[in-house]
Order: sequence, then C-alpha cells, then structure tokens
Amino acid sequence: MLIQQIVNGLTLGAIYSLIALGYTLVYGILTMINFAHSEVLMLGAFMALGLAALAPAIFGNGVIGLLGMFALSMAGAGIINVIVERFAYRPLRHISRLAPLISAIGVSIVLQNGVFLWVSTQSLPFPEPVAIGQVPVFGATISTLQLVILAAALALMGLLHFFVEYTKMGKAMRACSDDIQTAGLMGINPDFIIALTFFVGGALGGAAGVLYGMNYGSIKYNLGFLPGAKAFTAAVLGGIGNIRGAVLGGFILGFLEVLASGYIPNGAQWRDVIAFTVLIIVLLVRPSGLLGEKIAEKV
Amino acid sequence: MTFRRPAALLAVLAALTVACGPKEKVIKIAIAVPLTGDMGTEGQGVRRAVEMAVEEVNAAKRFPYKIVAAPFDDRADPKEAVNVANLIISDPRIVAVVGHYNSGCAIPAAKVYSRAPVAMISPAATNPEVTAQQLSPDWSGPKVVFRVVPTDDVQGSYAALFAYKKLGKRRMALLHDKTPYGQGLAEQFKKTFLEAGGKIVSADGVAVGDKDFKALLTKIKGDQSKPEGIYFGGLYTEAGLLLKQMRELGMKDPFVFISGDGSKTSGIFDVAGDAADGAYLSIVGIPVEELPSAKTFMENYKKRWTGSGEDLKPFDHFGYEAAEVIFAAMERAGGPDRVKIIAELAKTKYSGVLGETMFDDKGDTLNKIVTMTRAQAKDHSFPSVK
Repeated sequence: MLIQQIVNGLTLGAIYSLIALGYTLVYGILTMINFAHSEVLMLGAFMALGLAALAPAIFGNGVIGLLGMFALSMAGAGIINVIVERFAYRPLRHISRLAPLISAIGVSIVLQNGVFLWVSTQSLPFPEPVAIGQVPVFGATISTLQLVILAAALALMGLLHFFVEYTKMGKAMRACSDDIQTAGLMGINPDFIIALTFFVGGALGGAAGVLYGMNYGSIKYNLGFLPGAKAFTAAVLGGIGNIRGAVLGGFILGFLEVLASGYIPNGAQWRDVIAFTVLIIVLLVRPSGLLGEKIAEKV
Repeated sequence: MTFRRPAALLAVLAALTVACGPKEKVIKIAIAVPLTGDMGTEGQGVRRAVEMAVEEVNAAKRFPYKIVAAPFDDRADPKEAVNVANLIISDPRIVAVVGHYNSGCAIPAAKVYSRAPVAMISPAATNPEVTAQQLSPDWSGPKVVFRVVPTDDVQGSYAALFAYKKLGKRRMALLHDKTPYGQGLAEQFKKTFLEAGGKIVSADGVAVGDKDFKALLTKIKGDQSKPEGIYFGGLYTEAGLLLKQMRELGMKDPFVFISGDGSKTSGIFDVAGDAADGAYLSIVGIPVEELPSAKTFMENYKKRWTGSGEDLKPFDHFGYEAAEVIFAAMERAGGPDRVKIIAELAKTKYSGVLGETMFDDKGDTLNKIVTMTRAQAKDHSFPSVK
C-alpha cells in the first residue's frame, strides 16, 4: 500500500511540478504572476482532444501518434502563451507591476469563458492514450497510465534542465532573469527572451494539461483552476522564480495530499487544509520558499 | 387604380391588428433547475420535459389563458438558487415552480417560496430535509413544498438491503460528497446496512470538484478489514472519476460500486468510459423505459425534441409529471391563484406518467418505488437488476 501511495504521490506531484514550472519561469524573468497559466493548461488539454477527434487515425493510437499529439498540443499552448504575452502583458510591462497582473486575470476569464461558450459547458471524455494495464510491483498495482505520466513529466523536466543550463538561449534566459536591463546591454534581445520564456512555460503547461486529461479521463472548461492554484502554491513553496524549487514544491504538495487522504482518518475531507497549513508553516519559517534565495537577492 | 395600393395596405394593417388582438393573458410556470455547469445536461432535460407539457396544455386549450414556461438557471448552486427564488416570487404572473433539481438548492429556496407563498414541486431533490424542514418550529410560512420523487431514506435503505441480501456483501466502505444529497444517501445506507447486520469499514467525505481520489481508494483497498465494495452518495462526475480510478487500481468485480440516482445518467460514461461498466445505481421509481404509463410521454418527447440532439435524461418524466400535477391543481383551483393552487396541490390524486401520485402531510409522494440498475458500457444503458 505504501508503494502504491508513493506512486500516487509521484504522479500527482509530477503534474503539479510541470505546471509550477510555467509560473516560476515567467516570474523569474518578469517578477509577474501569470494568472492565465491555468487556462493555457486547459487549452493544451482541449487541443489534444481536438487533434484526437480530427484525425483519430493519426493521433488516436500508437506511440508516434501520441508523441505527435503531445508535441502539437505543447506547441499550440506555447504559442497561445506567447500571443497572450504580446498583446495583454507587453504593452503594460512598463506601466506598473499591478497592470499586467490584472490583465492576466482578465485573460484567464476570457479564455475560460471562450471555451465554455464555444466548445462545451460539459465534461468531455478524453481518449485513453494507451490501453491501461496494471503492473504488479511488490504487491502494489501500478497502472501503466501512471508510469506514462511520470515518465513524460520527468523527460520534460530533464529537457528543460538541459535547455536552461546548456544552450545559448537558456543562458540568455538566465541572464535576463538575473538582470534584464544589463542583459539587454550585452546584446540580448529581452523581448525575444521573454517571448521564448512564455513559449517554454506555456508548452510545459500544455503538456501538463494533456497529462491531466489522460490521468482523469475527462476534461472541462474549468479544469485549469484547481491544479493551477495548487501548482502556483507549489511554486511559492519551492521558492518562486527558482526552477528546482518549482519541481520540489510540486512533489511535496503531491505527497502531502496523498499522505493526508491516505493515512489520516477522514483525511480526504481535510487534505487541502492539511496541505495548505504545511505551506503556511513553511512560509513562516522561510518566507522566500524552500529554495528561494534569488528573491532575497533581488529585493 | 390609384386607390388600390392604399387599400391593400389597409388590408394588411387590418390583418396585423387582428393577429395581435387584445393582449392575451399569460400565466407562467417557473422551471428552476441548473441549465449550465456540471448538472446542466440533466436540468436541460427537465426544462425540455416541462416545456413539452406546457405546449401540450396550450394546444389542448385547457385554460382560458396562455401558459408560458419560464426557465431559471440555479447552476446547482444554493446561493444562486436563493437569488432565482427571489426573482421568481417577485413576478406575479408565476403561479407555481417546478424545481429545484438539487437538494442543496431546494432546501434554502423553499424558504423563499414559503414567504410568497408559491408552490414548489421538485422533480429530483431527494434529501428528506427538503420537505421535512416544513415541520420544524422555525418554519414560519405555509407549507409549499411538494415532490414527485421518493426520498433518500427510501433509496439509501433500498441500496443497503440490496448490497446485503442480493449481493451478499457484509463489509462496505462509505463515501459521500458532503452535500445534503450525498451525505443523506450515505447516512441512510449506513443505518440500514448496520441494522441488517453488515459492517461499515470506513466513511470518508470528498469535495465536489476534486479529481484525484487515488490516495483515498488506495487506503480503502489496503484496509485491514477487507471491504467488499463502496457505497457512494454523490453525483456522476465524482462517481465517474471514482470508478475510473478504482479500476485503474485493480478494484474490480466482485468489488462492487453502488451509488444513487445522481450518478445514473449517461454523463457517467463520458467521465468514466468503460470503467463505469458494472456499477450498481439505484433510481427512484421504475426506469422510464419499463414504465407502461410513460409510453406516450416517451414517444412525444422523442418526436418533440429530435432536433435538439438530446435524448431523455433521468428526471425528465418527473419534471413532466410535476408540471401535470400543477396543471391539474390549477384546474381545480379555478384560476391562476398562488394560494389556491397550494391548497389544491395538497389534495392531489393524480394518475399519470409515474402512476398514482398523492402527497403525504409533508408534501412527499406516496409512490415510493426504488429500482436497482446496472451500468452497461457497451451501449451506455442502465438495465434494471431483477
């Protein structure tokens, strides 16, 4: 049972981490919270569903089709995030810190209601990517779906790590995150790097949306809100602006929820209370989050 | 030739005036159900059924005035239900309400209707409190609540005896969604199951809107006292997710999943897919497909709403019956008078789609049949379990 709960926690944590990365990347560069991120995640899931419905022969089954669906939905979600940045945040960037934030809330409402009105007000069934089977591991049954989700999330995190640490564009992103004005003076185009950051964050969010849809088998216009809020918390818990912190925070939150509902009597009712109480305590002790040194430097 | 054109014009004008006529008297029946959101599909079904009843009544010219159905969206949200109820009582042309769909909405809204007073007949709210609250000493207004569906105490108990006797289960895990409906069902199940000699292994609440129940289900699966099934009091979204995640964790036959009428809708197949197969879902009344008295209703409904792309939803025939009961009371009352209609409703003895409908002193129907159905994924149907 413990092994099974660990796998449950890992799956949940992996999804939270992927979403949290989107918040943290944007915050790292613009010190702005992209409240529309939860909607990017939802749109990623809907795009995957649309692809599967449009071309079931290609995207309905098989590893290649699945990867294609994944890649296209990620790209789509990334592009949406870039468009949102270009038209809703960039014109407000230099006005005040509050303006883009409010604009982000507006974008979130527009996107959510757009899907509500034009796509569907109901839960839509999400296709099963692989035939779900059970793998017995030390007496626990782990579904292949959980393994697929975990593998995909870890692979994406690995890719992000490689991108940020070892590529030129990643280096430019880190430079902008340190000091965007100086980076501009050194010949980096900050507008391009910001757009790139939104693309990468949006793509990760889109991926999380697809995984979320797979995990729960149905999607709805408001699916982004709850995981979005939780992933944002995870990002703060790990230290917002810090990439490793987002991953750590996501997994901690996932485990807290699983432990609360799995091991505390009647814990399912209380799991959010327990998870958020821990969050408050952590923030009281470490206001900038577990790994959040960078914010302290900036202030 | 010159006067011909004005003459034609005059003729048209005259025709128009006749068509408009003196303003026709309009009486409204409110439909207060969720029209959007999670329960929107079911609420829309009730709306279609009531609108059909209204159209039939107008076509048959049973009243010297025109009846209009006025739909209101309570979004399955108790706060919104109270807003809607206030809107309804402020419109003097509304003489009665078909609604609300959810117990959580019907309970607070009933208080508003009592203030007016205007009669409310619920087609779907099954928590005993919906009508029982009228007997409490705090209830200041007249009794205005009626319902054509049997209550949870009937349904929860039935499911408990079904689990104990028919399925031979002795240890069950209990889950509910913390709403008056879900918790009410679960409590009644527990009471009867314990009385029968069974054991409730664990009881947990989940939040409406939660998606992840894996940790909770893993706990139930690993429980020392080996539960043989889950009874869930709640609605189809959570029920569907529970079923899907149960199957993923390998909790399959003979481990059973039993729930109530809130889960018995085709939406459960959208959420759970094939994982819904084999779930036991109790419903109040007899499945409409197997009800001889509902044959004409079903045919008319199909004919009327073919274009809408929607088929019959689980509570549509209750909505239709609620409207019919109101019309019958209006006829006996001799006019569209809110108070007289309430008095006549209490004396109802109507035989229609559901069979014989009579109300007890709380306003609950005396027609209390419960049927157990079993979800069948291959054709998305719910055949009844004999």
